[in-house]
Amino acid sequence: MSKCRVNIAVIEPSQIIYEGFSNMLLKSTEHYCLYRLSELAELTNSLTLKFSIVILNPAIIQNKINSFLKIKKNFPDTVWIGLVYSFYDSELLMRLDDAISITDSAEQIIQRINNLHSKYNCEANHNKDLTDREVEVLIHLTRGLSSKEIADKLNISVHTVVSHRKNLVEKTGIKSLPGLTLYAISKNFIKLEDHLT
Amino acid sequence: MYQIYKIYIKPSMQVLDLINENPSLLLLMEYFEIDYAVNNMTVEEICRINRIDQNVFLIFSNLYNGFYPNMEELMSANLDILLVIKFLKNSHNYYKNDKYPEIKQYINQLYNHQNSSDVKRIEVFFNDYFSEVLEHLDYEDKIAFPYFKQLFELNIDIEKCVFSSKEYKVHHTDIETKLSDLKNLLLKHISLNKDYILRRKLLSALFELERNLNIHSIIEEVILLPLIEEIENKLKR
Repeated sequence: MSKCRVNIAVIEPSQIIYEGFSNMLLKSTEHYCLYRLSELAELTNSLTLKFSIVILNPAIIQNKINSFLKIKKNFPDTVWIGLVYSFYDSELLMRLDDAISITDSAEQIIQRINNLHSKYNCEANHNKDLTDREVEVLIHLTRGLSSKEIADKLNISVHTVVSHRKNLVEKTGIKSLPGLTLYAISKNFIKLEDHLT
Repeated sequence: MYQIYKIYIKPSMQVLDLINENPSLLLLMEYFEIDYAVNNMTVEEICRINRIDQNVFLIFSNLYNGFYPNMEELMSANLDILLVIKFLKNSHNYYKNDKYPEIKQYINQLYNHQNSSDVKRIEVFFNDYFSEVLEHLDYEDKIAFPYFKQLFELNIDIEKCVFSSKEYKVHHTDIETKLSDLKNLLLKHISLNKDYILRRKLLSALFELERNLNIHSIIEEVILLPLIEEIENKLKR
């Protein structure tokens, strides 16, 4: 089974701690991609990257709780983990989703990350085959039917059709109607003649 | 921030070093119409000699290096809009006369070799897509950009405006979506055995184009449009 790629931002001022920590994570069997940031604001600078997890030294946010909460709000799907090696107020740590201690073993830390991550947002949808229902929706889509029309045809709610469409796009990686049509033909879900008539 | 080594470009840096770090900056120089023989010149020198607004150069080249522009910086930088438009026009030439035709040619060759119906359909998909792109680029070259220029020279009656920034953004999204679809069809679903060299050239060209279009949209939507809207608002007042 393929593992989903996890982008992790690490905000840790100490070079020694960062190097040790990243080495440990990169050598694990998980597919982690690590990015070191020097401050929280850099999170909003990234062009295309989405971070599933931000691991940070709580000192970074200690006197900036309000600006931290503001940034956190902009990343509702991100998990925030503290990297703790000195004493912090429990109220500060409560602002984060979890905390790992510098004395935890590699196994413990990876276990922690995996638990939090799968709970929040690992949708390894893109490698699965389409379900029969999704194929049906796909075929109707290529014939030019709207979500409403498909819902009526299949006797399901529009909401369900929309969710099938979302899965279709996630699984195939294809968004446009002409692209989906090409996909459906190449997989023999529809024949070219069907499409033309 | 690093994983891939990235440089934040500053005026005192040597252009040659920057190109060695990120060769895709050559394309940026093409769009700015700067000679490749950069000698030992720094960014500051090359901008001065070529009479290029240094702020535009810095913001664009850092975008090529992966740094998103900061809104406050943009608004206070007093960017040369005419230079921005020249840059974008030159990149349109690259799309129209270089990259898209190159991709078209690869697909065409693939079809000639393989004669498969899947490849034929890719060809049809691409040709439809390419004409959409040409139409959009034409719209920008003939309607949007001249309008921006007139606006910049304050030589326009704002009430008679035919340009819509909303429509502009929808076009971009569409162009990028279909390109990504084409890439994913080839990478995930349609197998092309044989013709390994051609196949790799085709995909590399698609990746290169995708990255360039991505930067292009950011320049137009995040940098140029807010500047245009600012002028429009001033005129309306």
